Amino acid sequence: MSSVIGKSAVVRGKVRGDGDLEVQGHVEGEITVSGDVTVEAGGLVGAAVNGRRIVVRGAVRGDLVASEAIELGNGARVVGDVRAPRIAITEGALVRGHVQTQGAGASSTPRAAATPRAAAAPVKATPAPVRAATPARAPAPAARPVPAPAPSTRKVEAKPAAGRGSVLAGARPAAPPPMVVPVLKKGTKVTKKR
Amino acid sequence: MASTIIGSGITIEGDIASDEDVVVSGTVRGKLSAREGVVVEQGGVVEADIQGGATSVAGSVTGNIHSTDRVDLQGGAKVVGNVKATRITIADGAQFKGNVDMDV
Repeated sequence: MSSVIGKSAVVRGKVRGDGDLEVQGHVEGEITVSGDVTVEAGGLVGAAVNGRRIVVRGAVRGDLVASEAIELGNGARVVGDVRAPRIAITEGALVRGHVQTQGAGASSTPRAAATPRAAAAPVKATPAPVRAATPARAPAPAARPVPAPAPSTRKVEAKPAAGRGSVLAGARPAAPPPMVVPVLKKGTKVTKKR
Repeated sequence: MASTIIGSGITIEGDIASDEDVVVSGTVRGKLSAREGVVVEQGGVVEADIQGGATSVAGSVTGNIHSTDRVDLQGGAKVVGNVKATRITIADGAQFKGNVDMDV
């Protein structure tokens, strides 16, 4: 059964428990509910709100933390931090505070996912020039990578760039056609203007 | 339809004041005052003084009930506290311990 704090109701104290909660009136205490919390237009919450999904069309002075999503609708006024995996702020909603689209539990996963991406990028880049180098020119590309590792690790970042350039040059002579195309485009534009 | 509903899983620790009806299926600790009716449904727990209009209790109330209208204690209700109202009914099966004050 869902709960409703009516339009004319004022609650001074904590509200917590299971199920959904709809606030049309005034709550001056912390709300902690396992279900959804809706602060309707005209509703006012003067403390933190915790729930699964939080929808605000009224006013909240306190932090919003949801395990699933937060939606700040038109007419919402929020002074406080907003934190949830998914956050929607509609046009007409006023927010003053820190907004973070990550839950407390979800924050660790993106960071963990970011590190493999960074590690994977150079791995992919290095084999590419090697493949291209072997069929096209065996001696020349081999000579380029060899001096590069010797100096320092900073120049390692420059290697893939040089490798990609050699790949394009070695694989296809596709470089000139793209150069010609923009020139034609520029020319056509000019003629149109004239 | 009642304007304020405290659902069965919900607990409120503090004061509730309303100009309209209040239905309690959950738990209220503190104080409960309403201009209109107050209904404590079966399974509802109120550990607070109740001030309101017509009051109906089918759940548990620990605290004084002060009504400007009537108080009905339904069968299965459990009330510990004083009751002050213009009219009072206590149904068969209701548990009640406290004083009754009817303005005579």
